[in-house]
Formats: sequence, structure tokens, C-alpha cells
Amino acid sequence: MWYGFAGKLLRVNLTSGEFKVEELDKNELRKYMGCTGYAARLLYQEMPGGIDPLAPEAKVVLATGAVTGTLCPSGGSYEVCYKSPLTGTWNQARSGGAFGPKLKYAGFDFVVIEGKAEEPVYLYIHDGEVEIKPAKHLWGLNVEETTDALIRELDDPEISVATIGQAGENGVLYAALINDRGRAAGRGGIGAVFGSKNLKAVVVNGRGGVKVARPKEFAEAVEKAEQWLKNYPFASIPSLGTVGLVSLNNSLGILPTKNFQTAYFEQADQVSGETLNRKYQIKRRACYGCSFACGRYTSVSNGKFATPPMEGPEYETVDMLGPICGVADLEAIIRGNYLCNIYGLDTISTGMSIAFAMECYEKGLLTDSDTEGMPLRWGDGEVVVKLVEKIAHREGIGALLAQGVKRMAEQFGPAAEEAAIHVKGLELPAHEPRSESKVLAVQYAVSPRGACHMHPNWASTWDFGQLDCGMKEFGLPWPPAGIQDESSQKGVVYRYVALQGEISEILGACIFYSWGTEGSCITPQLYAEIVSALTGWDVTAAELMTAAERSWNLKRCFNAREGFTRKDDKLPRRFVQAIPNGPSTGARVENLDAMLDAYYEAMGWDRQTGLPVPEKLRELGLEFVVN
Amino acid sequence: MSKVLVVDPSLCTGCHRCEMWCSLTKYGEVNPSRSNVYVIRREPSVDVPVVCMQCGLCIDVCPTGALKRDGTTDAVVVDENICTGCGTCVKVCLYGVLRIDEETDLAAKCDLCSGSPACASHCPHGALRYEDAGKAAARRREIWAMAHAVRIR
Repeated sequence: MWYGFAGKLLRVNLTSGEFKVEELDKNELRKYMGCTGYAARLLYQEMPGGIDPLAPEAKVVLATGAVTGTLCPSGGSYEVCYKSPLTGTWNQARSGGAFGPKLKYAGFDFVVIEGKAEEPVYLYIHDGEVEIKPAKHLWGLNVEETTDALIRELDDPEISVATIGQAGENGVLYAALINDRGRAAGRGGIGAVFGSKNLKAVVVNGRGGVKVARPKEFAEAVEKAEQWLKNYPFASIPSLGTVGLVSLNNSLGILPTKNFQTAYFEQADQVSGETLNRKYQIKRRACYGCSFACGRYTSVSNGKFATPPMEGPEYETVDMLGPICGVADLEAIIRGNYLCNIYGLDTISTGMSIAFAMECYEKGLLTDSDTEGMPLRWGDGEVVVKLVEKIAHREGIGALLAQGVKRMAEQFGPAAEEAAIHVKGLELPAHEPRSESKVLAVQYAVSPRGACHMHPNWASTWDFGQLDCGMKEFGLPWPPAGIQDESSQKGVVYRYVALQGEISEILGACIFYSWGTEGSCITPQLYAEIVSALTGWDVTAAELMTAAERSWNLKRCFNAREGFTRKDDKLPRRFVQAIPNGPSTGARVENLDAMLDAYYEAMGWDRQTGLPVPEKLRELGLEFVVN
Repeated sequence: MSKVLVVDPSLCTGCHRCEMWCSLTKYGEVNPSRSNVYVIRREPSVDVPVVCMQCGLCIDVCPTGALKRDGTTDAVVVDENICTGCGTCVKVCLYGVLRIDEETDLAAKCDLCSGSPACASHCPHGALRYEDAGKAAARRREIWAMAHAVRIR
């Protein structure tokens, strides 16, 4: 009997058209807790290094965790784990909506997809049954059309559809997988991987639910979480959505603007959460099972950017299709968000690729002859919207932009390097690493999927709030005891940020709700209470920490096998230069090397290579990685 | 006067926590498909909780007399010792809030948790409330009227 988990893994081979259901091993699952931790083990063991992410041999794991689809207030997530065609690294793309919970209710914790279908197909997983169905009639349709067609075809409005749009079909290297029409597993190009496999969509639904080992104790633990979260320090976010960060970040001088040339946007008021709320918001929307409800629906009723109701835009999207491109027109941003959703594009990499092109145009590296006469000037919302269309269809200059910033910069030569804002090929998200948040600089440098604000955590909250997130038990006073030098402190603190955040990753929880202190967030101890009552395993916070460390080391080893070492843990050159204006004028990243030294040391990794040493791996029970 | 459940769809975010609490309370598992409160979540942007109005139409049609009104809460409750799972109540319910439970094969419906409904006490945004019947009636009138009013621009 399984509690908390469905207890099954579905393995689908698209080449042979066969699938099989495997029983999970409880001990092995518990070692990694589940979700991305267990997916890391699967991919490390089953996918040898050096595989082309777009080849049939590449594998994709759809992963849920212990708390996915339960009453745990952050449990609306699933993650897609794969090797990214954009970066060549480990990638995990998280999404909310209803897909994760419904996959679990359908009877599976994990789906491993391998091979390549001869013709377009989709997967239909419902109540323990699996069908690989033809999707030729869906190929070429956008996300909205595909989702609606599948609801009609399967005659079930309750299904959850995760599908690619034209961007994924066309191999845009940062194409997303979109579930429930407006929720994106966005980063790293999972859409292109689906496209390369001729896999249009995965459809899930089920009536299985999640069995609870100790219902009364579980209800009490969840009630405790509900009480604590009334004091959540970021509880104000949902009133404006994440877009509320636009005004806040701009007032602090950390709103990335014009491809990170500056961090202050004069017209921020025009694209703020307040403006979005007042003029375009329809309603708030939660992911399945989440009490936070940071999502929202917006629309533009008329004009050249008229847009039907659609989920978003989030803070990242507003900055990326807005200030990052110098754009102050919220209607253009909403339209751009809509197009990214229906074509299946990551809004962050899309916005950054456009901003890169705009800076290159400004510098004369791109000219009107490259752009079919369309000037790529800062602040032109209409151009941004046109470029989104062109990228999704790889038309004209869109084919160039569809490769992402790193590959474009390589083609343009050294003169473009200054404008290439990425780490390991992943474009930066909308958080400025030069300001007070130096821990964020470490995060960008070392995160397994490249410049990432999500996995495993958003380091800024730590830096700004100096919140212990329930990590006292594991040694997080602030600043860390006995360390005087600031760079060393930052490096050591990032270890805590990473491992505490990794707990959410291996449980299938959203990172919202994990920032605060005891009594105001879901601490590792409270997660342990919830998971124990749910699964019947007597899990402690320390066990969660060890599983998190195991997962974090394994992802590092996955990348090491692909050739990534300390030499790749670097930031774009722009961040050693000072922010030129606004409230954070003068801030820059000065001491990344010293911070990295301290971080590797704290992790028990080799300082020279930045990699886990055999003793560390053995200590974590990861012997199979050593050999 | 006793209390009743009242719904304000404009406050619902579609989180389904009410369904999860309902199934946890009634069956010890988290399973929205075994819930006696229903959230209709559709794209784009539709989230509507649907609850039993406790109208009692099902009482009248039940061939075995398994449906009864609880004297304390006024909820219509299923007597599982008498119910045969024939489904007549499901057919007649105007709101579609009765179902035959797949595991017990008996009729299942909201019984107001004997006066402290788990769905309402855990709704994060106040979309579902368990309120004094008079106050709830006023709220229902308001929501009903506003839903049908022509929006003034």
C-alpha cells in the first residue's frame, strides 16, 4: 500500500510505441524523496553523458513529489527533467496548474518518455491506463487550439493538457511546454525536446486521489501550515500578483532594464502591478491545491494589442517583454505574453533574446538588412510582439533569435559578447545580481541549469530578509558564526539557500511559502511533519536535508559528466561593471571567486574543479556516481 | 436560525482545497473526485464552487427513505444503512451535487459536517462560507442580482 505517492512509474517508448508500468521501490524513492531528486537518479543512470538532447536517445522525466496534489499549501507543482538543448546541462522546468496533481490522481508519480515517434502523437494517461494516440491533426495548432481540440476529442472538460505550440514543433531552443493553457514549464527548451520526439502533448486525468497514512495527524499538520502562513512575510504578493515586484524592484534600483545595461526604468509606473490590476486584470487564479493564488487572468479589450483572457503576465514576463526591451506599453506586454503562451515560448529567454538583438542593433552589429528593414529600437512594443511571432515560426530574423543569446553571440563575434547576458547558455531572469543580493550572484553562477532564479530557490529573499527559513537546526545564524569576511559569508549562506530550496524540489512543492521563519513559512521541520503524516514514513528535517544534498550533488555530477566544472560557474562580464544609475548606482559583483571558494568548501566539493569529491559522494550513498 | 453554506464565485481562485478537505474529512484521503463540494474550473478564467442547497428534492424521490433531514443542521443526510445506491437522487438533483461514491456504491452528498463544514473553514479566500441563514440569504440575493445585471461602463 502506498501513501502520499501513487507508487508507480510509467515508461513510454515512442519509437516502439510500447509502454510499461513499473512499481517504485520504497527505499530507493525515500532516499531521494521523489520529484526532481528521483528524476536526477533516473536520468543520471539511464542517460549516458554526451547525448544530443534532441536525439531519440534523450529521455524526459515528468515528475511529481510527495506533496503534489495533496493539501500541502504549496503542492500544485510538477517538474519536467531533461537535458536542455539550449544549455547542454541538467534541466528541470517546473509548472503549476492542474497537471501535476492530475498525473498523480491518474496513478503515476513519474513518466519517463524516450525514443521518437514516427508521426506526431500524444499521450493520454487516465486512471492507470495509457494510450499513445495519433496527433497529426493537432500538429501546427497552437496551445489553445490543441487544448480545446483534445477536450472535445476526449469528451472530458476535466482533463489537464500539457502541450507544445508551434515554437516546440519548430525547434526553438527555448520553447516551453504549456499546461492548462497558461501555465508554463518554461525554461531550457523542453518544448523543442517534445517537438524532436514528435510528441505534441501529454493529457492526464484520474479519480485516484492520494491515500493518506495518518489522516488526523495530516490534517493537523496542514492546519498548522495554514495558521503559520497567515504570517508569511511575502503574503502581500498575491494582491498584485508577482508583478507587484516591478514597483518594488524599481524603487530599489534593481529592475533589470535594457538588457541589464541599467537597473532603473523611468516609466516603471506604466508597467506596474498596480496598473495591471487596475486596467487589465480579470481575476486571481491559483494552482491546483495552492492557497496562495499568485496567478491572475488579464486581457486587453481592444486596440492593436487586443488579447483574449489569458493567464499572466507574471513579473518575469512583464520585465522581459517590457523594461528589458525598454518597453513601457503594458498592452504590448500582455499581447506578447499571450503569444508566448499560445506558441509555447519561454517568456524570459524570448525577452532576453530580443533585448540582445536590440543592443546589437544599437551597436550596429545587426542592421536593417538582417531585420528585413525592421528597426530594432529600444522601447518599441510593436516590434517585440512581431518578433515573438517570428521566433515561434522561425521566420526571417526569428530563426536567428530562436537559438538564444549564447549562440547568437558566438555568431556575432567578440563585439557582441558584452551584450550576451547568460550563464551556461541560459538567459538571465529579471533579478539583478549586482545589488545587495550577492548571494544571487553565486546562485546564477552555480545553478545546475544556468542563470536561474528558481532552482533551487530565490537567493534574494535570504539576502534582503535575512530569514532563517527554519534552518537554525542546520546552522544558519546570520551571519554564519565564526566567519568575518563577507565573501565567505555569502558563499556559505548559499549552501543553506540551495539545500533548503532543494527540499521543495524533491517534494514537488512550489518555492513560495518556503521563505520566512518558524511560525511564518513551511520550514523543513514542518515539511517533515506534513510528509510523515502523509506517507507514514517518519521523516525528519535532517533526513529531508540529506535527501536534498543528495539531489543537489547528483545534479552537479550530471553536469560534470557533460563537461561542466568550476570554469563554467561564471557571470556575464557586465556584472563586474557598476550599475550606472538609479538607487543602486555603483553596485557590482566584485568577488565572485572568493564567494565560490567558500561555497564549494561549505559543500565539501573540490575547490579547483568545483565538483563533489568521491568521499562526499560515498557519504551521501551515491557510490554509483564515483564509479 | 441555523447556518447555511453560501458561495461567492467572484472570490474563488479555483484551488480545489475545499474538495481536498472534504475528501480528507469524509474518507481520510485527498481526492477531489470523492468530494461532496464541487469546483468547476474551466479555461479561460472560470472558477465556480457548487454546493448542495439542502433543498430536499432528493428526500421526496428516494425509494427507500434513505435521505433524511438532520434536525440540528437542517442538512439532508444519507442513511448508509438504508441506501441501496440506486441513484434516483442523483438523477433528480437539479444542481448535480449528489453522486454515487465509487468505493462505497452508496449515495454521497454534503451533510454540512454536522455543523462545521471543513470546506468553508479552510477556504483561503472566503469564497465558501458557513453563515447565518438570514445573512447568507441576503448575500445570495446580491450575488444572484449582480450576476444578471447589465454591467454599467
